Amino acid sequence: MSSSVMEARLLEKEGDEEVYEVFIGPQHPASGHMRLIVRLEGDVIVGVDPDIGWVHRTMEKLAESKEALKAIPLLERMTIIDSQNVTIGYVRALEKLLGVEPPPRARYLRTLLSEINRIASHLYGMGLAGIFVNHSTMFMWCFGDREVWIQLAEELTGARLTHSYSVPGGVRRDLPQGFKEKALKAIRYMEKRLDEYHRIFFDNPQVRARYEGVGVLKPHEARRLGVVGPNLRASGVRYDARLLGDYGVYDELEFEIPVREEGDAMSRLLLRGDEIRQSMNIIRQVLDKIPEGPILAEKYLRLIPPKLREPALKEGRIKFPGIFANLKLPKGEAVARAEMGHGEIFYHVTSDGSKKPYRVRVVTPSFRNVILFRYLPPGHRFMDLPAIYGSLDYFPPEADR
Amino acid sequence: MCMGLVSSLVRLVLSPQFFGPIVFPGLVTVLAVLLSIIWVERKIAARVQMRVGPLYILRPLGGAIQMLADGLRFFFQEFIVPETVDRVPFLLAPVVAMSFAMLPFAFVPLAPNFKPYTVPYSMPAFLGLNTVIPLTVLAMAWGSNNKFSIQGGIREAYMTIAYEAVLFISAYSMALLYHTLDFAEMVEAQKVPGILLNPISALVFFIAMIMSAGKLPFDIVEGEQEIVAGPFTEYSGIAFGLTMGIGYVQLYGFTLAFTLMYLSGWEPLVAPLYSIYPALGGILLFVKAYLLLVFIVFLRAVYGRYRLDQALRIGWRTLFPLAIVSVFLSIALGVIGVV
Repeated sequence: MSSSVMEARLLEKEGDEEVYEVFIGPQHPASGHMRLIVRLEGDVIVGVDPDIGWVHRTMEKLAESKEALKAIPLLERMTIIDSQNVTIGYVRALEKLLGVEPPPRARYLRTLLSEINRIASHLYGMGLAGIFVNHSTMFMWCFGDREVWIQLAEELTGARLTHSYSVPGGVRRDLPQGFKEKALKAIRYMEKRLDEYHRIFFDNPQVRARYEGVGVLKPHEARRLGVVGPNLRASGVRYDARLLGDYGVYDELEFEIPVREEGDAMSRLLLRGDEIRQSMNIIRQVLDKIPEGPILAEKYLRLIPPKLREPALKEGRIKFPGIFANLKLPKGEAVARAEMGHGEIFYHVTSDGSKKPYRVRVVTPSFRNVILFRYLPPGHRFMDLPAIYGSLDYFPPEADR
Repeated sequence: MCMGLVSSLVRLVLSPQFFGPIVFPGLVTVLAVLLSIIWVERKIAARVQMRVGPLYILRPLGGAIQMLADGLRFFFQEFIVPETVDRVPFLLAPVVAMSFAMLPFAFVPLAPNFKPYTVPYSMPAFLGLNTVIPLTVLAMAWGSNNKFSIQGGIREAYMTIAYEAVLFISAYSMALLYHTLDFAEMVEAQKVPGILLNPISALVFFIAMIMSAGKLPFDIVEGEQEIVAGPFTEYSGIAFGLTMGIGYVQLYGFTLAFTLMYLSGWEPLVAPLYSIYPALGGILLFVKAYLLLVFIVFLRAVYGRYRLDQALRIGWRTLFPLAIVSVFLSIALGVIGVV
């Protein structure tokens, strides 16, 4: 194993006859929507080039061609498994431009869905980490248990994955009846299951052998490479966009940001488990503390015709008037950050005063983490590549946008 | 005349030389085991993983003939031979591999005085025939002319030298203990099951046979997450079906050998069945072997895959010394005069 991932990059020698080049992907059982050009010397990796862009869908350009509100369902397709967290940054940026703040109840509801999505996203990542070392039980369990949270989100928003829940000024729907009981039941179930995950996966000697000490990322390297999310926190750097207090009600709740020191693949996986526990803690507090009140800012409630306004408030389902889609964005710029399951997402929205944003710039966490494919594997065995891939929770459509 | 033909046919079928390799425990039984064990494997994994598993083909029996359907599909699927392959090894290797996976059954005795081939060294013959299979896998890898295949072939080569010596040494330690190289005499020598006499040898043989058959946690050669299907990447249709079946056939053979050496074979003999026809006395041998097979395929639901160097380390640094220890244990037991 190399002492430093930065130096490990130097192992590769250009034009070396000894080097065996393997193209993994884009059509490969474990490549995802990307290609990894792997150079091997014997069984040892000397270089990896992540070849990205196979699922580039011109998200930023398409967002310029639509009215600001219509870009929400578009942008959530970048990370369909985490659609609340991927759009909340955009919604916050629009709110800053429009000069509107969501009412307290809406902020609590946003936090609730954010954490439900985070749990589902982490389960997705952990499941893939299982199948990357051919541990099919972990894969099936995580994907099966993810369904619990997807159904909870469906209960709240009406859609399994593409929630489009947060809109400028608030949220689309209020808490349904009996939601608290269902959520608490899901939390109890998940707590039990996390212990079972430990028994079958995290404490499994075979899994520990594959993940422990593999792909070590040191704190200074993580900082220099600009890594975000659980991959950063597993290297001992305590950074989380939720701490900025820019969105949601995280400043009003008590929770921890789990941090681990080892920086190896195992700690990245265990950290996701820790975060699931913290997210469940947050959901509990949100359900206890959530205040009564409107779910959409007063300014926009007034746009709804009086005849429809009363039933909408009573039912907690807001059907937007056509005018809402045609909001004029004041001239200016706004930035917002949010913490997704994969890490921090950054939005920069520029407006020239028309209905459509002039420019929407997105920097997604997977795009920032993809650099690790280049720096982590060199010096490791070929069979460590899937283990490292699995531990990074990389999501190609999100990186390619 | 006609009656004479029928009776001579019956006599042929019931002769140990034919019945053993072709009917039980050979070809016909192998196919039945293949069809059933893959279904059992998928059903067990499904139960552990909160799924249903195969279901729709013959629904009243829970999809029990799913593998028959899969096999038929393999038969009628186009077998693509890429232009770049070395045709002779590419086409021949799967067939040779399957043949050599089937041959060892000719050396498996089923009951007292029921041996297909009466040779005094059926154990080494059985193990020796199995050693041809890794060579055919190498031929497949080389003949495929594909980077992933060659990677898989190299892995097979490394794995082979790691488990084969261990497998032979642990088996020979039992031969030392029983003072014979013949499976049938080994069974007769087991007043106490061999697994209790020499548990180290049993453990080493058990792990080595999982490595040999390439089942989890040692399915390194086929490592689909890195090398697609290893040496079998370029195969399609029935040839792929053959390559998929080899591991299971091999494993079934090994579980029979394990039962004969460590689990006292067909003992206690089911006398009524034995008196009808001697081969039926082997029913308990088959049941024990099948249960062992079920246990091995269950491991798929518990483990992932070890890394190549970790598996080699297990083979050389753990199993190899243990195998040597098992030899000394056998000698010690022989000196004391346990057997």
